[in-house]
Amino acid sequence: MEERGRGERNLGKEAEGNSKMTEARYLYCIVEGNEEITLGNIGIEGSSVYTIPYQDLCAVVHNCLPEPYKSEDKEKVKSWLTTHEKVVEVAWDRFGTVLPLGFDIIIKGEEGIAPDENMKKWLKDDYENLRQKLGKIKDRAEFGVQVFWETKIISEGLIETNPEIKKLTEEIKSKSKGLAYMYKQKLENLLKKEMEKEAERCFKDFYEKIKKCVDEIKVEKTKKLEENKQMLLNLSCLLSKEKSKILGEELEKINNMKGFLVRFTGPWPPYSFI
Amino acid sequence: MEPSRDTHATLVDLLDRILDKGLVINADVIISVAGIPLIGVNLRAALAGMETMLKYGVMQTWDEKTRAWEREHCKKNIPSLVEGEEIVVKMFGSHYYSKGIYNAWRSGYFYLTNKRLILYRQDFDEITFQIPSEEIKALVMREESHFVKEKKKQVLYLIDKQDRVYRLSALETNQLKDAIVQNLETMGLSLEEGPVLPEFEEGQIDFLTEGEEVTHRGKKVWYLVPASGIQQETWRPGHLYLTNKRLCWWYDFERKLVFDVPVNRIVSANTEMRKISGFNSNKEKVLDVAYRFNSAKIIASFPGGRQIDEWAEALNEIVSGKISEETENCPQCGEPDWAKELLEEGCSSCGWVSPRLKKKMAPAALSAE
Repeated sequence: MEERGRGERNLGKEAEGNSKMTEARYLYCIVEGNEEITLGNIGIEGSSVYTIPYQDLCAVVHNCLPEPYKSEDKEKVKSWLTTHEKVVEVAWDRFGTVLPLGFDIIIKGEEGIAPDENMKKWLKDDYENLRQKLGKIKDRAEFGVQVFWETKIISEGLIETNPEIKKLTEEIKSKSKGLAYMYKQKLENLLKKEMEKEAERCFKDFYEKIKKCVDEIKVEKTKKLEENKQMLLNLSCLLSKEKSKILGEELEKINNMKGFLVRFTGPWPPYSFI
Repeated sequence: MEPSRDTHATLVDLLDRILDKGLVINADVIISVAGIPLIGVNLRAALAGMETMLKYGVMQTWDEKTRAWEREHCKKNIPSLVEGEEIVVKMFGSHYYSKGIYNAWRSGYFYLTNKRLILYRQDFDEITFQIPSEEIKALVMREESHFVKEKKKQVLYLIDKQDRVYRLSALETNQLKDAIVQNLETMGLSLEEGPVLPEFEEGQIDFLTEGEEVTHRGKKVWYLVPASGIQQETWRPGHLYLTNKRLCWWYDFERKLVFDVPVNRIVSANTEMRKISGFNSNKEKVLDVAYRFNSAKIIASFPGGRQIDEWAEALNEIVSGKISEETENCPQCGEPDWAKELLEEGCSSCGWVSPRLKKKMAPAALSAE
């Protein structure tokens, strides 16, 4: 299915006369600039990537059919996604500021209207909004910060330090088998409650520390990826690339804490702040 | 710490951005973006895990069903508690339930809470036994034979403030008892020390008719209960009682008389050492009691150890007291009986009394002339 017309996607500008082949544009990003240039065959499935300018803005696109890209093949989708990201980054490097789009956003033509016309119309209508967004992200990049803790290490620490848990653990030792069972359940509940409290405390603490190092911050949903590791916070941060060093130092401190682990990714195009 | 970009982990981070974020276009010339989550799903399933899958509705139905089942199941698992009530111990067990014709150990889960002791049958969502903690007066542990000869069963007798006795048994009866005691202590309640348990067997003898008295009783004896309905003949434990009127065998488990023969029908009582069970090659001392039923002679066997000799002796006293072996049929019901007794005491089956006897209704006439 997904193979339909794929070969013809590569025709690029040369095929513009043929409306069947060129009736849609796959959109990578919006950049600051007014040049009409080609970035080469770096697009999805090797398609030719070029710019469509409107005043001082450019849409970075390739020509495609008016159908979304879809596939059951994981590897194929993965390569599409990474290609999408690479194109955005090439444009980012070249134009300095970039408004990235998500995967698979395609602008189509209409009866009597070429897709490029639609593109320009949209850029025109949304111009003020786009300019404002570009202003906000100028010279900045997005970084991902995720803090995990190793549940086992943290809970062991709590058992040693939390007086309430400590007391209960001591009590269990003197109980009969039946009662010990009930106390164990009590202990588990208490530990769970204390872990939640601790997680909340850590979240606030880390959030405040990180916030001081960045220009803008967004709290993302935490995810469960591994059995023994729990994601405490998942943040998207917007900051200038130079400032990433300061953020890195702060994260280093957290990462050095026993049982904690920080994942620091980026710089990414500012997907989360536009 | 330097930010990284090129590991597997960062790929997930990137995909989250490319698939969910980026510039939002509110233009009607955009091609349906339904394809985005479709593409995302496969990849995410492998990379991100359940939560994201659910976010995209893929497993929603499945998840909802699972949760609904879970909710239902959980509800059934725990008896409904009152506000502020907390479960202290949960343990499998049973209580001896006796009402009307129904007598059995009913099993379920004991829930000891900070307010009461409950026996809960989760399959029926039914509380079959419960007692508020402050109503518990005393606890007595007893080791009882568990109907299967070698096995002993720990039975907890719980006596309430009205002196009613409940028989309870649990997976770890001792632990259940300890837990109840400790639970009461934390509530500031105490149990009666050295309670006296009413003798259980005594209470059972409620089958005696007017003027009937137990003349001989003993320890547990077994009886081969004849087949009835779908029930095959089986050895059951119980107690044998000899009264001035009957020889009866009381079935402990069902709390009723299963064997019941008027003394005047007993022909003989003998003892013998023999094997009674196909499973057990040991010989046992067995009491064979022969009695007449209709016109047949039936033998009932009661294995019961050393006490059997005493039983044989007691029964033989009765048998030897009989003067004649001569039998006659009752003119009213046709039932055979000792001729002498039929004439002098009337029919033990239907109550027929001879005209001659009727005339001599004076008490003196009842004794043999």
